[in-house]
Amino acid sequence: MLVATSVIVFAVLRALPGDPVLTRLGTTQGVSQETIDRLREQFGLDHSVLSQYGDWVSGIFHGDFGTSYFSQYSVTSLIGQRIGVTLELTIVSVALATVIAVPVAVVAALKPHGAIDRVVSALCSLGMAFPPFVAAILLLIVFSVQLGWLPARGWVPLSQSVGQNLQHIILPAVALSAVASPLIIRYLRSELVEALASPFVRTAEGKGVSRAQVVLRHALRNATLPALTSVGLIFGYTLGGAVLVEYVFGLPGLGSLAVESALRRDYAVLQSVVLLLCAGFILTTLVVDLAARALDPRLRTVRDA
Amino acid sequence: MPEPTTPEVPAAGGAPAGAATTVAASFAGDDAAAAAAVAARGARRRRLPRPTMLGFATTVLGVIVLLVLAAPLFAADPDAQDPINAFAGSSFAHPFGTDDLGRDLFARVLDGGRLTLLIAGGAVLVAFLLGTLWGFVAASRRGIVDELLMRSADALMAIPQILFALVCISAFGASPLNLALVVGVLLAPTTARMARSAALQEMSRDYYAAAIAYGARQRRLLVRELLPNTTGQLAVQAAINAASAIILEASLSFVGLGIQPPDASWGTLLKEGYAFLYQRYEYAVFPALAILLTIWMLNVVADQLGGRPKRGRA
Repeated sequence: MLVATSVIVFAVLRALPGDPVLTRLGTTQGVSQETIDRLREQFGLDHSVLSQYGDWVSGIFHGDFGTSYFSQYSVTSLIGQRIGVTLELTIVSVALATVIAVPVAVVAALKPHGAIDRVVSALCSLGMAFPPFVAAILLLIVFSVQLGWLPARGWVPLSQSVGQNLQHIILPAVALSAVASPLIIRYLRSELVEALASPFVRTAEGKGVSRAQVVLRHALRNATLPALTSVGLIFGYTLGGAVLVEYVFGLPGLGSLAVESALRRDYAVLQSVVLLLCAGFILTTLVVDLAARALDPRLRTVRDA
Repeated sequence: MPEPTTPEVPAAGGAPAGAATTVAASFAGDDAAAAAAVAARGARRRRLPRPTMLGFATTVLGVIVLLVLAAPLFAADPDAQDPINAFAGSSFAHPFGTDDLGRDLFARVLDGGRLTLLIAGGAVLVAFLLGTLWGFVAASRRGIVDELLMRSADALMAIPQILFALVCISAFGASPLNLALVVGVLLAPTTARMARSAALQEMSRDYYAAAIAYGARQRRLLVRELLPNTTGQLAVQAAINAASAIILEASLSFVGLGIQPPDASWGTLLKEGYAFLYQRYEYAVFPALAILLTIWMLNVVADQLGGRPKRGRA
């Protein structure tokens, strides 16, 4: 899967290259052909496309993603500087989305098609219409430009100041979770409604378990597992959204690195960042599937048991 | 014979054109029952009467398209500059105010909508052609072809769309045509999955077996039998695709990799507005609202037409 993804990314990038060396120099005037050739050689751009691909892949296995065409930094160090921001943003966003979504879904599912449920469903449909970066711009306008409560752009690492770090991450995280939580709410709600209508809930009520116990212990537990499989999807949404949200808020994460290198035609960086993010996405999906299997005996096949 | 009205279960009699009609008609009872079941499921899910919401959303979308297309007839010239009136507030002459060069924002939003909707439309078309063929061929060939086609769809879908779009656009360059093609290709795998599952569902029906029985060729099976019977689901997918296409175009243009000035789209307007947030924040708000309203209405249409297909990959 990852191999296929890497081939696609690489092939597309090499298909019709605007020459990265020329882009870097900005102009061909006053630069001798010799210099251009030397730069090409330096980045291995004079090799065949296949051997470039080979170099890239074999490098990855050694933890070496190559060198940026644009700056002299190694891609590994560029990614290393920035991966923390993206990780923090994604984790905080998904956590925030879950914290918002679970209670809302529970309340909505208690009375399907009641007033609350309909309001929630309408809000969800509105929330899903927000591309995360548009939500980000609107939040920026309200809280930074108008109210001036929070800084608009920039980043302070967690290690430097926890408080300032929080100030910088709260708006991007809210923007991302505003889009992710409707997805969770919808999914969890429909699973909950189904669980609440199932025989085991009637049994529990029959033996006199309190309503709260029935909902939280019996129904919610059963509804969470199927909903868990959708986390992979949520993660993908958040990662995709984070690319532009980082750009809007000027966060130095992998997303803005991808945008910057796309603008500079710095394929060496772009292909590795994209591959890394895809790997993250695929891995999460895998881990979630495995976790669901470990948690839910019903999903195990005979062979596993 | 009760005539099924829900779009996802087309009328059984009209479906298999030609000789299969009589065969299928005798099974119409099954289809009507299925339609009733679908209708009942819909009613349980939503209390709001479906036609009203659907009608409302399509009307709003229609008005947006009409406004955007007819803009030159009534709105101001989107390129007319008036630097003295830069960053003017809302007024009768300029309902949305003016931008940094004193251009009328209302006219610019409508003008930008034309490219945005054009690209979205083109992308939906590309995704439909490519995705339907992809999915139908996979469904009808099965075996190794199916496996290969669907695995490649999975690999493509594993890349977050926006990243893939960044890669493609920086490789192929950003013209409106390229944008429509790239976005369309990006949306094709999801469409292919949908088309495949819809096709598989239809292929288990009796009219399909009947068509095979009277010796219909492959092309006829795909185009005359499967296609008309899956239009409902494909329409839902088209609405979802249109929404995604608008988001992708806006995202790319916003970071400067999409539509290039002097051409304008909702994405470029957002980008310009973002640069002037502190001077006049309304600049960014109006294109944002245009994008939101359009996507929201498209989502409502998709929901009402038959619920989002489950996109989870369990």
